[in-house]
Amino acid sequence: MENTEIIQLWRSYQLKMDTALSQQKQLSVDVQSLKVRNMLSTMKPVKIFTLIVGIVWVLGGAFLLSQIYQHTFEQISKFFFFSALLQIGLTAMAIVIYLLQLYWIQQVDISEPVIKTQEKIARLVSSTLLVTKVLFLQLPLWATFYLSTETILSGDMLYIVINAVVVLSFTAVAVWLFVNIRFDNRHKKWFGWIFNGKEWTPLMKSMEMLEQIHEYK
Amino acid sequence: MSTQEHQYLFRQIIEQHRNILFKVARTYCKVREEQEDIVQEMMLQIWQSIDKYNPQYKITTWIYRIALNVAISHYRKTGYKKSVTVELPVFYNETSEDISDHSGDEVNILLKFIEQLKEIDKAIMLLYLEEKSYQEIAEIIGISESNVGTKINRIKNLLKSQFNSLKQ
Repeated sequence: MENTEIIQLWRSYQLKMDTALSQQKQLSVDVQSLKVRNMLSTMKPVKIFTLIVGIVWVLGGAFLLSQIYQHTFEQISKFFFFSALLQIGLTAMAIVIYLLQLYWIQQVDISEPVIKTQEKIARLVSSTLLVTKVLFLQLPLWATFYLSTETILSGDMLYIVINAVVVLSFTAVAVWLFVNIRFDNRHKKWFGWIFNGKEWTPLMKSMEMLEQIHEYK
Repeated sequence: MSTQEHQYLFRQIIEQHRNILFKVARTYCKVREEQEDIVQEMMLQIWQSIDKYNPQYKITTWIYRIALNVAISHYRKTGYKKSVTVELPVFYNETSEDISDHSGDEVNILLKFIEQLKEIDKAIMLLYLEEKSYQEIAEIIGISESNVGTKINRIKNLLKSQFNSLKQ
């Protein structure tokens, strides 16, 4: 088949579709309703709610810990205090990255060339990996906050061994995930297990897009 | 630019070039309701970007950039949905009564072929079929003209081999 024949086929098809479209309805343009629709589709209530809960959690936690530090630091378990401090610090870091993403999204110019814009968007979405990595680092803290110096010093070997195994294995998993959750490993089976599901689709698609863009460079 | 000028320009762009928006939406999405959503989003992005329009480029270059960026970004959001609705019937049949059966088959082959292309290849193929110059395709996609030529040849050869294999 010749090039002209292919183009002719395309034209005839588009002409049909355009005719059908113009017969179907008159295009009405209501910018106000467009704006509302867009706001609703981009700012999903669940995301806003999660962000607000996260900020309240960090601010509340920081305030509480500062009070504890000033007034009752000597009496409380240091395991609890430092686990909570690190947990709040990591959550704050994740929130900052998320807010930065929102800012960067505003900077994307949709009227720039396709490759440039798509690369920006794909890199932005892929930076969600960083949030996930940071959140995984919290894993061992959930196994240390309830420990107490007194029980450890009491010499209960079973308690010490069980807790040491749990804390060390959680730490190993968290560090391993922090190091290995990256773009290069997107085809690995374990990566697919973690990022399997509808909510991760944009992330996986962004990675595919970066791969495509790479072919054009 | 005053609000009235902004609105006037916007309406003119949409009225004169709405076919581009629908064409791009149809190329990237087969579900009619989603096509309408994509077109709405394209219109919103055009409305928001009017002030940023650079007259150095043709208006169609600017519209194609916005339309393609919106359509490709939409695909990323709904990739999951797409993967479960891939077996949709070929929609050409809806309006094929005036074209002979033979050419209807060929259109279906062409549409299926385009559907299988990756997003950026799909954009290049669409612009090629719309008979855009290599220069304009390069400006829309953001690659060199020689790269456009290479990609188009590769895609065309693939398409021709599909047509030939089906004819044999």
